[in-house]
This record gives sequence, C-alpha cells and structure tokens, in this order.
Amino acid sequence: MTELVRLADVTKVYQGGITGALNGVSVTVEKGEFTAIMGPSGSGKSTMLNLVAGLDRPTSGSVSVSGTDLGKLGEAGLARFRRDQIGFVFQFFYLLPNLTALENVLIPAQLKGNASTERGRELLATLGIEEVADRYPARLSGGQQQRVAVARALINNPTLLLADEPTGALDTHSGEQVMELLGGLHREGQTILLVTHDAKLATRHAARVISVMDGKIVDDAHLESPERAPSEVIRVHGEEASR
Amino acid sequence: MKAVVVKAVADLRRRRLQAAVIFLTVLFAMAAGTTAMTLMSQTRDPYQIAFEKQRGAHLQVAFNPTTDRHLLGNTPALIGAAASGGPYPASNIQFRFGDRKFYVDAVGRDNPGGAVEVLSVTSGRWPLANDEIVLTRSFSELNKISVGDRIKVTSVAHTPTLTVVGEAVDIDEGSADLSSQRAWMLPAAVPALATADSSFLLMDYRFSSDPTSSQLRASLDRLKASLPPGSVSGSLNYILIRSIFNITNQILTGVLVAFSVFALAATVAIVATLVTGIVISAYREIGIMRAVGFTPYQVVEVFALQIVIPALAACLVGVVAGTLASQPLLANSSHALGLAYTPTFSIGLDFLILAGGLLVVAVAATVPAMRAGLLKPIVAITKASGPRGAGGRTLRRAAARVRLPRPVVLGIGDAFARPLRAILTLVTVLLGVATVVVAVGLPRSFELINNSETGAGNYQVMVTRSSAYPDSDVMRLLNAQPETARVVAFGGQNVIVPGVGDPVNTHLFRGDSSRLGYMVVAGRWYSAPGEVVAPAALMHDAHLKIGDTFTGTANGQPLQLRLVGETYDINNLGHSLFMDIATMGLVTPAVEPFVYDVTLTSGSDVSTYVRRVAAAEPDLIDVHASDTSTIAPVKIIDLVLLILAGVLALIGVGGVFNTLLLNTRERIRDTATLKALGMSPRQVMVMVSASAALLALVGGLVAMPAGLVLHHILNDVISSSAGNDTPPAAYRVFSALELVLIPLLGVVVAIAAALIPGRWAARTNVVEVLHAE
Repeated sequence: MTELVRLADVTKVYQGGITGALNGVSVTVEKGEFTAIMGPSGSGKSTMLNLVAGLDRPTSGSVSVSGTDLGKLGEAGLARFRRDQIGFVFQFFYLLPNLTALENVLIPAQLKGNASTERGRELLATLGIEEVADRYPARLSGGQQQRVAVARALINNPTLLLADEPTGALDTHSGEQVMELLGGLHREGQTILLVTHDAKLATRHAARVISVMDGKIVDDAHLESPERAPSEVIRVHGEEASR
Repeated sequence: MKAVVVKAVADLRRRRLQAAVIFLTVLFAMAAGTTAMTLMSQTRDPYQIAFEKQRGAHLQVAFNPTTDRHLLGNTPALIGAAASGGPYPASNIQFRFGDRKFYVDAVGRDNPGGAVEVLSVTSGRWPLANDEIVLTRSFSELNKISVGDRIKVTSVAHTPTLTVVGEAVDIDEGSADLSSQRAWMLPAAVPALATADSSFLLMDYRFSSDPTSSQLRASLDRLKASLPPGSVSGSLNYILIRSIFNITNQILTGVLVAFSVFALAATVAIVATLVTGIVISAYREIGIMRAVGFTPYQVVEVFALQIVIPALAACLVGVVAGTLASQPLLANSSHALGLAYTPTFSIGLDFLILAGGLLVVAVAATVPAMRAGLLKPIVAITKASGPRGAGGRTLRRAAARVRLPRPVVLGIGDAFARPLRAILTLVTVLLGVATVVVAVGLPRSFELINNSETGAGNYQVMVTRSSAYPDSDVMRLLNAQPETARVVAFGGQNVIVPGVGDPVNTHLFRGDSSRLGYMVVAGRWYSAPGEVVAPAALMHDAHLKIGDTFTGTANGQPLQLRLVGETYDINNLGHSLFMDIATMGLVTPAVEPFVYDVTLTSGSDVSTYVRRVAAAEPDLIDVHASDTSTIAPVKIIDLVLLILAGVLALIGVGGVFNTLLLNTRERIRDTATLKALGMSPRQVMVMVSASAALLALVGGLVAMPAGLVLHHILNDVISSSAGNDTPPAAYRVFSALELVLIPLLGVVVAIAAALIPGRWAARTNVVEVLHAE
C-alpha cells in the first residue's frame, strides 16, 4: 500500500487555549484505506481532519498529503490542493442555498476550470438522486442534501475523501444510507477519512479506527473486516457494541 | 431606556466601519444642504439691507443730453417717485491705465450723498478738483487700479490725466465682472470729457415701496409719453441689478439644493440597506434581547439608535461645516454690496436643518428596524440569521450560460440576491454617477456658451476706437495688416421695444457677424437689413416669436424689425438685439461701429499683431487679444459642481461598499464552504468584485441617461435664470466614447471599493466560521 497522509508530531493549540487540540499526533493513512477517527466532543478529531484538508495549520509538526508538505503551501496553493486532492463532506452539508443541487455539485469542478454537467448528473444518478438535480437545497431532505454534498466532494475525483460527522445531522435511516454510500465508494478504491463519534457506524464501515482523546491518539485498530468490530475499540469510548 | 442605550452603544462599537459610512454620508448631505439653505435665506437680505442703507434707486433713466432740465425736474412727480437724484451730467469715457484701456460712464456729482443712490466711499475721498475721479471698488479690484493711480482719458482729443482719489460702492449697478461701471467726478469736470454721441443725463428715482416690473414699465412709459420723442435713451431698474448681484448665488443655491436632496436620498438608501442587513444578521441576538426582557419597541430603538447616534454627530458637524462653507460666498456678496461682512447665519434655520436631517435618517433607520421588533422571540432565537436572499438566480444562470468563470457567476448572483438591497445600492450609484455626468457636462456647456460670448476661436483681436479716431481710419489701419483675414465691426444703440420696459441694447454689426460664434438657439442668424435676432428674455417680454414683425423706436423714430432667430446672450439677462448696422442706418444714418473683432490668418502671432496695431495710435485705439477667460461666477459654479460630484461619487462608493460588506458578512458561511471546496483567495476577491462591478455597471447604465436628463434640466434652469434658452449645442457635450467610459469608470471605482470586503472575505478562516455554525 502507498502512504497518502502523514501527520508527524502534530500539535495544534488554539489561541487562548490552555491545552492543545492536538498534542504531538503522528499517524499515517494508506491509499485506499477507509479510516474512521473516533472520539468524544473536543477530543481533536475534527482538528485532525481540518489539518489534513489544509483548512488549518498545525502549531508545530507537519502534515503531508500525497507527498506534499501542506506547511509549504500558501493560501492559494492550499486552495488548489483542496480542489485537486480533497473531497470534503460536512456534518451540516453546507450546500450553497442559491444554487441548485447540480450547480452545487459542479462548483469544485468549475473552480478548477473543467466542469462537466454530464459528470455531475452521472454522480447524482450514481447516488440515486438524479431527480433532484435542479432543485434548490431548501427543497431537499437532509439525506438528499448530504448525498448532494457527497457528489460535490467526488466531482473532481479526489485522492482523499474527508467526511466530518456526515451522519450527524441525519436521521438513522438517512445516516445508514450515507454510510452505505461511503462504504461503496471505498470498495471502488476511494480513500476515506471519516470523523465520527458513533462507534457503531465507524466499526460497521471502516477498516481502521483511530481513537482520539484529549488531543492524542489512544488507539489505532485495523479491523479484519469492517463488519466485525473488535471489542477493545468500543471500550475506548466506554460503549457497548451491539449490532 | 438605559439598557437600550447601553446595547445600542455596544453594537455601535462593534460596527465601527458601518458607523463611519453613515457618519460620512450624512455629513456630506448635511453640509451641502446647510450651505444651500444658508445661501438661500441670507442672500436676499444683504441686498435689501444695502439697498435701504444706500437708498438705492428703483429706476435709473438716461436721457438725451439735450433734454430740458426743467422738464426732467418735473419727472419725479410725474411718475409718483418719493425721492429723486439728478439730473447728473454723464458721459461714456475711455481711459488708459498702463497699457490697458477701459470704458466707464463718468457721472458728475457734487457729493456721494443725496436722497437716492447714496454712494459708499470705501477708500480715499470724494473728488475736490476737476482732474479727480472716483471709481467703483468692484472695478478697481478687478482691474488692479488703486487710489492715487493716474489714468489718461483717451476718448477726447486733449487726453487729460485724472487722479483716482477714491473707491465707492454703488448699490445701483452690478459688479464689474458682469456689468459696465460708473465713475464719479465733479459735475464741472464732465463737459470737458463729453463727446456728442456719448453724453447723457442721468436721473435716479426712488419710490415709497418696491415697485413691480409692470409698475416700473408704466413709469417709463409715462416718462416717454411726457417728454419729446427720443428723450429717453436708456434705463436700468433695481430688479435687474438685484438679479445680477444674486445670480451666482441663485444658481449655486439651485445646484446645491438639488444635490443635497440627492445626497440625502443616497443616505436614506444606505441607512435602510444597512439596518435591514444588521437585522437579518442578528436574528439570534434579537431573540436573546426579547428573552431577557426587551420590548419590541425597545428592540427597534436599539437598531435605530445605532444609526441615529453617528447621524447626530454627522448632522452637528455637517451643519457647522455647511454654515462655514457658505460664509465665503456670503462675504463676497456683502463685499460687493459695500456692507461690512459679519458672519451670517440663522441658528433657527440651522436647528431646523439639523432636526430635519436627523428625522429623515431616523425614519430611514426605524422602518427597517421595525422588522426586528416584529420578530417572534422563539423564531428569532432558533435561527442564527434571517432567511438568505434568494434572488439573482436568473442573472447567475445567464452568466453561467455565457461561460463566465464560476467566481464571477457567483458574484453576479450575489449582487442581486437581495433585490431591495440591490435597488437601494443602485440608487446610490445612480445618484453618484449622474452627478459626475452633470459635473463633467455643465462646465463644458458653460465653456461653449462662454466661447460664443467671447468669440473664442472665431476672432483673436479686439480693437476699440475712441470717438476721436474715425471708423474709416481704423478700417484702413486694420486692412493694412497682412495678418488681417476678416474684420467684423460693431456699435450699439438703444432701441425701445414694445412690451419691454427698459430700452434694449442693440448690437449693430458691420461685416459677417454670423462667423463671430454667437449661438443660434432657434431660427437663423439675420442675413438682411431689417432682420434681427434676440435672446429668450426679450422675446418673452415683448411677446415675440420667430417670424414676427414689430416696430421698435430708435432716436424717437419707428424702426420696422423682423425677428428671424433666437440667440444666447447673458448681457442684461437676455435683453438685447442683434442686427446689421444698416438696419439702424435707416433711422440713424450717423451711427458707426466703435469695436472691431479681427480674425487673423492661420498661424499669425497675435501678440505681435496687437503690439503693432496698438503702436499706430496708442492713445486713440485700444487693441488687445480677445479675452476668452471664463467669468468668476462660472468658475465658482464649476468648482462647487466638482466638489458636489466628488461628494456624491463618494457616497455612491460608500453605498456599494456598505452593500458588499453586508453581503460578504451574510454569506460568510458560503464563502467558507467555497474555500473548503477549493476556492482560492484570488477567486474570492473576484467573486466579491464581480458583485460590485455588476451593481456599478447597472447603476451606471441607468445613471448615464438620468445624468444627461439632469444636465439638460440644469442647463435650462441656469440659462433661464440668465434670461436665455439653452442652445442645442450646449446639451451635446458628451462624445459616444464618454457615454460608455463614465459607467465603466464607475465599475472600476466600485471594484476598488470592493477591495476591503473582498480581502475580508478572502481571509475568511474556514475552520472558525464553520465551527461557529
């Protein structure tokens, strides 16, 4: 396997923060992996994701993606990096309300300068929401909105798909559908880094679960099969696995 | 109430930039408005004060010098005048000072006092000897002649030298830059300076109350009827002189009033936009305020106060600044009227302006703030902000269809996301660009008119002869010069026109006067004896239209005239006639020209020509290059227009800036999302700039025709106040390229205004913004 992401001794301290959001984290992610980062609120998992996306910069340490040291990129370089390498799915979808579903999907490609409406429609069709292409976000259900967000994340064929609590704002059924969708993408070879605090979702779909607490990695478990969760992973959070 | 103030002040501190925008726009509007209102209220008073103090003449009449003085002595009773002065012997004289020559009407008076037309001697003293003369202060200042200077009279053969012993202010004549001037000598000194065709007797009449124009006309008619034909050779009334004194301030007042209304309208638009934006972005805060006990009314107060506080500061500064700005103009008026200048303002008026301005701003702020008061607490508290603007879709799609870059497409959509806000912004842009159009156009119109009055480009040299030097000699001299290409000579004589009270000055031309550059407003220039051309005021007063035939009176004899065209002439506020000298020759065969407009062959050196011709007869002819400079009042109006255009343009930029600031703040989450998806800082800047550019472009495209219409209207108002209709050429002062460039310049300025909100958006911290959501 090829290394895709490398965090080397990364520390992140927010302004005014007494303790760091991340304290000396080192971790790598291989290409093709479906990795879940788990942890309670404030543990630093979203910070890790933001650093990998180049949305934030570490206080110390380095972050590399596809061999590119993000610390050496300026704002414009980071924007190009995100456009070319990253697909991002947010908890609250963050679709642009003034654009239709299809227009939202096409935005990253248009910013890159190679938008293809056919490709956008194909993606929506693949995700089962072709019929909402011309609707505005306000007229879509939460599940539909998140599927549109996934399509938007995939439009530029990203090397790495980042998902920050993608089911957090959805009902159980819609959440399951979105996770099934991400699972399917992984099976097709997409590298995925998922942040969630839901152990059941993580263990059901991810092949690797990194547990974070108080800014440190407390566990890094490679599961034999995403369908079977090791009990120790679940214990980290004091939860009981019951599928 | 304290909680309301505390909250409003706290919000104000948080929104310093927007408070600054409000402060500046209100300040500009109030300063312009106060200047206009102060000028309007104070201009009339100084003239009235001076007129009363100097016992101004309501009517001044020039009589033929042969008129029986005993008959003249009866005229005050004849027309019911309460007081009179004269008859004073008078003569138009030419004198030389340095290498320049001037004309004044020398009037013989024993002293500056009397029952009418008391002269205020501002420096020096009254003449005590026949070789002493007093000039008007206005004339002395304009031509830099001081008490003690010696002048040489060149209009009579013996060319006596006079000493200037004093300067006086005369309420019964206009300023030197707009009117011919008088000078005073002892009565015994006048005959020695008089020539047959330049002498007259002057009578001043003052009535117990200010007569109307028709009453003045009736008095003149009675005078003409009671005296031998041709006795009345000219007249002047106080209404015309008052207009000449006040015309600059009148025009300025009109312009200032129009633009202060503009500025206030733009301010209202900006305030309404701002408050609407603040309310939309502060839903949660409104909910919290209601939850802790603010009443709906208090919520409205908090939002309105945020605007009213900086507006109050701006009103206070603006009223003071406007009052101060009006003082130099008022001081100028006082100076011209011979009054001691004292700072002139009305505290009551200033207070009214302040209260009025503040009320307008308060209403503009309160109406949109009522939305905050009407919000249900639970709705407000559960939503972070108001519904986002959903407009601009059609525009965005159209932009996408023409394959514009996505940041541009998004920016275009954002510009009209909130249609009301966009419209209010367009209003500010419209007012700014329209003002710029006027500020560019009016000076050009003025220049065209000025050129027509001064013959710029049509003749280069003006020669004036004294009566001691015959017309034929002048023509011989001029025709002998190799550079002389054309000579158009003219003289003047007053003609009585039915329906017009005062005798009308005529311009009597010999030669091709159609090539002197006078503007034809309608009809055509005269082409044969008997045909005349006149400005609008004369046509109006005499109830004449082009094609009409009428009978004037010159030298007591009837003169058949046919009006063939309308021209533009500000002399005597549009009361003049233009005709061939041969027309007058029918009733006054002796009439001769005394001024010669000389057109030189291409490439001739004007100063060499002037020097050579002047040297031929230094005492008897005045030769100078034609003066094409713009008169001082027009320069003042141009300057004020330029300042106003700058102010309105700044307000327009402020409007765009304000809207972009609100839009970018409202769309901060969208911008953060776009950045997360890969939008670069440069693309964010492009997106914000595209919004600004579209608003400016649409505003500019609407403003261009609006500005042209306004330019048209102002031209008409200004022409009309000088007794004229606007010549068509004065409207057509913009090239097609400029009509395109001015809106585009607006776009460039708007993009510059977008830099701050654009940079702010480009630097959006994605993590902080999305985390906050």
